[in-house]
Amino acid sequence: MNGFLIAAVAMLIGTIPCGIVVWRGHLMSALVAYEAISSIIVMVLVLLSEGFRRSGEFELAVLLAVLLLGSGLVFVRFLERWL
Amino acid sequence: MREIVADILLGLAAAIVLASSAGILVMRDPYQKLHYVTPTALVAPVIVGLAILVQSGLTENTAMTGLALVFVVIAGPFLSHATIRATRIRQTGDWRPDRARRDGSAGDRS
Repeated sequence: MNGFLIAAVAMLIGTIPCGIVVWRGHLMSALVAYEAISSIIVMVLVLLSEGFRRSGEFELAVLLAVLLLGSGLVFVRFLERWL
Repeated sequence: MREIVADILLGLAAAIVLASSAGILVMRDPYQKLHYVTPTALVAPVIVGLAILVQSGLTENTAMTGLALVFVVIAGPFLSHATIRATRIRQTGDWRPDRARRDGSAGDRS
C-alpha cells in the first residue's frame, strides 16, 4: 500500500462527517456537504488511479470533475426556486 | 527523495480534507459550512496535483490529473457563490438587500 492509496482512504474517511450532514442536516447544509463530497471523490479517484498505476481510470476522475459543476448548479437552481 | 516529498504533500492534502470535513459537520448554518468547502475544493486538489507531479514527473497521468483538478478548482468558487445566493434567496426572498424581507426569517426552508 503506497502513499496515494493511504491518502485516498484518509480522504474517504473524510466523507463520513459530510455524509452525516447530508443525512441529518437541513437542506442547504446538505447541499454544501454534497459539494464537498463531490470534490473529495474526484481527488479519491485520481489518487486511486495513481496508486494502482491504472492510467485508463484517470478518465473517470476527469468525467466526474466536468460533471461536478453542472450537477451542483442543477441542485442549487432547484433548491433556490422550486423546492 | 521524490517519494518523501510526495508523501508529505499527500499527508497535507488528507489532513486538509479531514479538517474541512470536521468543520462542515461542526458549523451551524450553510454560510459557515461553506467556508470549509473552499479548502477541500481549492487547496487540497492543488496539493494532490503537486504530489502526483513530484512523484511521476510530466507524464500523461499528470496531465489527466491536472485536467481533472483544474475542473474541480474552477467549479468550487462558482458553486460556493451559487449556493450562498440560493441560501439567501430561500431565507429572505431575494439576494439583494433592498428587496429582501425585513425579518430575514428562514422558516423551514433553511
